Amino acid sequence: MSKAAKPDHFESHFGLDDAVLQRVIASAMQRGGDFCDLYFQQRTSNVIGLEDNEVNRAFRSVGVGVGIRVVQGDATGYAFSEELEESTMHEAATAAAGIAAGGGGKAPHDIRASETRDLYPVATGWGEVTVEQKLPLLTRINERAFAADSRIQKVRVRLSDGEAHVLVVDSDGRKAYDYRPMVVLFAQCVAQDGDRREENYHNVGGRLGFDYFDEAVVDRVADEAVRRTLLLFEAVRPPAGEMPVVLAAGSSGILLHEAIGHGMEADFNRKGISIYADSIGKPIAEPFVSIVDDGTVPASRGAINVDDEGNPVQRTVLVERGVLRTFMHDRISAAHYGVEPTGNGRRESFRHAPLPRMRSTYMEAGPHAPDEIIRSVDRGIYAVSFTNGQVQIGAGDFTFYIKTGYLIEQGKLAAPIKDVNLIGNGPQVLRDVTMVGSDMELDQGGWTCGKDGQSVPVSLGMPTVKVKAITVGGIG
Amino acid sequence: MDDRLADLAQLTMEHALKRGAKEAAVGVSRARFVDLKRRAGKTEKLQASTSRGLSVALYVDGRFSSNATSLLEPAALRDFVDQTLAMTRMLAPDPQRYLPDPALYGPTGGVALDLVDPGYDALEMDGRHRRVTEAEDAARAESEAIISVTAEMVSQSSESLQMHSNGFRGEHAATSYMLGSSVTVRDAGDRRPEDHHWAVSRHLGDLPGAGQVGREGAMRALRRIGSRKVQSGEMTMVVENRAAGRLIGSLLEPLAGASLQQRRSCFEDKLGQPLASELLTLTDDPLIPRGLGSRLFDGEGLAARPLPVFEQGRLLSYFIDVYYGRKLKMDPTTGGTSNLVLATGEHGPDELMAQVGSGVLVTGFLGGNSNPATGDFSFGVRGFLIEGGKPGQPVGEMNITSSHTTLWPRLCAVGNDPYPYSSMRMPTLVFEGVQFSGV
Repeated sequence: MSKAAKPDHFESHFGLDDAVLQRVIASAMQRGGDFCDLYFQQRTSNVIGLEDNEVNRAFRSVGVGVGIRVVQGDATGYAFSEELEESTMHEAATAAAGIAAGGGGKAPHDIRASETRDLYPVATGWGEVTVEQKLPLLTRINERAFAADSRIQKVRVRLSDGEAHVLVVDSDGRKAYDYRPMVVLFAQCVAQDGDRREENYHNVGGRLGFDYFDEAVVDRVADEAVRRTLLLFEAVRPPAGEMPVVLAAGSSGILLHEAIGHGMEADFNRKGISIYADSIGKPIAEPFVSIVDDGTVPASRGAINVDDEGNPVQRTVLVERGVLRTFMHDRISAAHYGVEPTGNGRRESFRHAPLPRMRSTYMEAGPHAPDEIIRSVDRGIYAVSFTNGQVQIGAGDFTFYIKTGYLIEQGKLAAPIKDVNLIGNGPQVLRDVTMVGSDMELDQGGWTCGKDGQSVPVSLGMPTVKVKAITVGGIG
Repeated sequence: MDDRLADLAQLTMEHALKRGAKEAAVGVSRARFVDLKRRAGKTEKLQASTSRGLSVALYVDGRFSSNATSLLEPAALRDFVDQTLAMTRMLAPDPQRYLPDPALYGPTGGVALDLVDPGYDALEMDGRHRRVTEAEDAARAESEAIISVTAEMVSQSSESLQMHSNGFRGEHAATSYMLGSSVTVRDAGDRRPEDHHWAVSRHLGDLPGAGQVGREGAMRALRRIGSRKVQSGEMTMVVENRAAGRLIGSLLEPLAGASLQQRRSCFEDKLGQPLASELLTLTDDPLIPRGLGSRLFDGEGLAARPLPVFEQGRLLSYFIDVYYGRKLKMDPTTGGTSNLVLATGEHGPDELMAQVGSGVLVTGFLGGNSNPATGDFSFGVRGFLIEGGKPGQPVGEMNITSSHTTLWPRLCAVGNDPYPYSSMRMPTLVFEGVQFSGV
């Protein structure tokens, strides 16, 4: 457990003992409802930035509050309070209770603390790390990037860190506490070659502490930012149209996140609006394709010791040897389908109600040798780094943007390519995964997923994979 | 403005200066909102809350930081200021960071922007329920092929106060309403295409009827049935008014002071040059009554005034805030956009498509990205083939790929239909020779 973790944090700082919690829960359940939960969160985040050779800007943000949710069937009443005074919490509880249609008077359960995992212990919380300690990380990257190549014109570096104390209590008597660190180190370069200008970036993040950032890690951020920027001078826009695409191991997991991830969130499926709604138990890919969403990968952005509804977190198999197995559930969807929650109930903050969200989404390693995969393509592209993606879960159309990659010509990597969007149809692309490499890699980038106006940190991963055909947004 | 919040802002300012800040800028805000969602004949979600916050920018010993807190009682605010001052003192100095010259501050009252609906608090829950019910029912009635309808109404009332230690003080208040329907329909196989219609306004009376909102969402979704991708090629692109904001937003990124100063702009040293066809006259106008982006002063307190960005294709202004203006040695214009207005043409979208004959009507973008240093972009698109001057076969799973330096000179027609439900008030736009990738 982290030294900064304090399971009694809210009781000792705000007087929130079990008696207070029970009174607020009773308030929330005054008009009935299947259950209610209280989500307490105290969060601090810091950003410091280097620009034009100086670490001369910072942004600090602090806040605390509670989100109160009452659920009846699949209906949600929600209100939050930014003050942890009992009277204000009762007001929020009463507002959330408005969703319920009479009943009330359920006997309270005794409150019992739940066991939670310990996936991201940090020796020193970010609250204890001073600006003076952080400065050398940024200045080292700045110096190293400029020294790497005379074409580098500008370097920007940003260190974003944060910590949160979270406490979830529900009307079934469950109480779970978590201490959550998070950090992203980001470096961006602008380079000039003749009259051409290019920019690119690299970042590394996770539920990590300050001691993670040794010289090797910091130097790699600088080297990758420089390499990815300079590569763009040699890069061309690929041809337009459908072609085979080989995805490099690692961050190409964004394809999974968009092609199947959102479509497997159980809320979309119980509403019948996802293209996967009728596909549980059906084969949707080759038998060497297995895809999981895993909340237990230690220290990853997508790791959570307990979900934001207080449910235990697990590794959830979405696709097992080609067959669609399980949606990602929150409590509402799990009840709808008559299954156990999968630990996917997440929320951006106490101001937001939880929804089924992804955690670390990746494809398991497969039977093929990675270089055999590239050799199998006569004309296509090899996609290496990505910036973002999006999906329409009903039509199944999804996109992801390739920042860098290569043309493949006669089974070999040829000219670099850049700045191209790929678009495909989720179920079709999964059927079209014809080779899966033995080299699964979980990417360490600072990925963030947005849904319904709220963002959560996630991770993604892939082995080297070949998709028979995807539409490449190129030229000509 | 809530007196208690105004007092807390004053307290924060005084404490920061007392503790050694040379200058400070403090903002406080309060927002109340109600969000009601209805689906499958009943309420799906009801959320109501009030949110408050305080921001403080500190200028101390030549150093700068900006900070925010929602712990708003006096002792907590004093501690927050002390902590953030200590943190700021550890940074490197930045000689260009100081408050704007007061001569740039403008009048903060006296112009009626009409952003507050005086009837906001009179809207009862019944009125909200009635509207989402009407929207859902109207959408459902359109077709048996409809799988799901979600109707939603959100209302928000917000107020803020900004004060600078060199004399600026400005208040801003606004209300907004959003009424929308999201509809999913059955297509062949497992496909369930979706679309939506959202209306947004500052005054309740400016929202269209709920039935209309429901029907429009349903009709849009139904039109997606049978969508497929078509052949790649260069085609004339007609961009629907509600989608055109995506292209303009991407065009604006290289025009920002930070992008220019950091040399990640394809439009460096291009002021005065023709970068688009003569049809592009684009203005940032903060003073439109009831406008969704309207304001009397920008984030730095600068007096709001209309800013001509492009005039008949010629680039006239960048978006320069005070800080990057000093670094670039350029006068500030404004650091952020308000309402974006594009000079309209004479014809509506139907007539424009009739003139185009054949091409693609783009009704939405999906993902994609752009590179401000080169102007390159690639976006997923969906819409309809235009054949014989009319939209026909629905198309999707396609991309457009180009660059802002190539695209805007090919702007060949502009519609008469500015989109009313966004601060991007774009009309339909027509571009020749755009690269579509499909099959």
